Amino acid sequence: MPSPAISVRELEKYFPPALTGWRALTHPMARATEKALVGVSFDVKENEAVALIGSNGAGKSTLLRILATLIIPTRGQATVGGFDVERESADARRLFGYHTGGDEGFYARLSAGENLAFFAAMNNLSRADTRQRIETIAELMGIQNDLSRQVRTFSTGMMHRLGLTRALLHQPSILLLDEPTRSLDPLAAAAFRRLLKDELVRKGGATLLFASHTLSEVEELADRVILLDGGRLIAFDSPRKLCSATGTVTLEAAVSSLVSHLVPLQDRV
Amino acid sequence: MSTEPAIGKVAAFFWRDFAIARGYRGALVLETLEALFGVATFYYLSRFVQSPELNSELPAGTNYFAFALVGFAFFDYLSVSLSAFDSSLEEARQNRTLEALLVTQTSLAVIIAGSAVYPFFALAIRTCVYLAWGALLFGFRPQSANWLGALVILLVSILAFAGLGILSASYSILFKRGNPAKWLVIGVSGLVGGMMYPISVLPAPLQMLARLIPVTYSLEGMRGALLAGAGWRELFPSIFALLVFAAVLIPLSFAVFSWALRRTKITGTLTHI
Repeated sequence: MPSPAISVRELEKYFPPALTGWRALTHPMARATEKALVGVSFDVKENEAVALIGSNGAGKSTLLRILATLIIPTRGQATVGGFDVERESADARRLFGYHTGGDEGFYARLSAGENLAFFAAMNNLSRADTRQRIETIAELMGIQNDLSRQVRTFSTGMMHRLGLTRALLHQPSILLLDEPTRSLDPLAAAAFRRLLKDELVRKGGATLLFASHTLSEVEELADRVILLDGGRLIAFDSPRKLCSATGTVTLEAAVSSLVSHLVPLQDRV
Repeated sequence: MSTEPAIGKVAAFFWRDFAIARGYRGALVLETLEALFGVATFYYLSRFVQSPELNSELPAGTNYFAFALVGFAFFDYLSVSLSAFDSSLEEARQNRTLEALLVTQTSLAVIIAGSAVYPFFALAIRTCVYLAWGALLFGFRPQSANWLGALVILLVSILAFAGLGILSASYSILFKRGNPAKWLVIGVSGLVGGMMYPISVLPAPLQMLARLIPVTYSLEGMRGALLAGAGWRELFPSIFALLVFAAVLIPLSFAVFSWALRRTKITGTLTHI
């Protein structure tokens, strides 16, 4: 049996409570008591597309940030491509591309091409590879004619596509995307979903773990769905099986049913 | 990571910052004029405070203008060292590029080193502008200067100061704003480091304190090399002291910064402003 692309075991994350005034000085050392994730376990197979869904504060972004080596878990273990995200974070970073739909993080005074070339250098791409990769992905994203424009002149949607281009530059085999179509117009979002499903997952063989609030997007893209609520994994199955297990016909109805009962599906089976 | 990509990455940081600075050409012109005002201020101050008592306290063969100009120009290296690292971190947090950098295949050490290269380059240019204004308009004549000695003093000073800068950045990454350590180091160094006056005029306890901070050795060595044409034998004590500071501060600062970064990854405050 092939090893999973992403493996999460009994993952827990607690944050220190927010402190104000002089007590804020003790925040870096404060005891972590605010629950974000509790006992989350799942595997994502190679070349599988898995969606993370759940209400705001359910723990989706925290989970993705742990896998992206930006947050250290309190307990449990997570691996990406077989590498532990805490102890082998540098190896894990070679394998994944990470992108959040909101915070693009570019140098506004540099052109899009200069920004991409800089981040390509940070990902060990040679100059020749950089040029070729930027051309290829920029064309896929529809920004090939805007590479010489300063990023500060970009619209939100353009920035978003640029962020996705950056995440794909080093040809990652695993994609961690936090709300990947947020702030894209409907046509661009549909085009991006096609790109993800057809080019990256089907043809490119990439593994996809993405968070989304758009259930139609989840139904279109995801082989399986992880439902988080209050930091706990409530369900993990294909959209079709979630519907049949809850006796519903739409994913939205299935999610409503699961969240209203708040009983882990695996406990009920 | 091999040396070659690390050097390439540091170069990428340099070109990134150079390209950004190029977009603010007006600021470059204003900074050049600002340097002229600073040098002129020292020149007229030096004419005002000229006295046999003061001259007797200065190193042989120098005058107060040259003494103060070198002190002012090279004290900037301490200020920039202390702010270069946490300013670049602050900027990366503000424009949200820090997370984007931390998920790349670039080590923290390279990110820190790379972020500081351009600020030091810009400072070197600024120092040359200061000295050039002094030479062109106000009679600053470092005729017997040991330029190679000055360069070595400068490089070992940067190493020693960089350690303090990375420690300062560690505070900044943990607590985000306000940095008492930075202001303490600059305040104490400004008071006892010999920027504007020789440390021999200080009371004995402050002279002892002056021997515990790197800027004292940096300014002594720089003035010796530039103003008195000191040879390697005379410069050795300053170079050795600065190397000792660097040998202690650089590993310590990296350890502290790694710990601070780990704490922020635990508390989830890496990108908080």
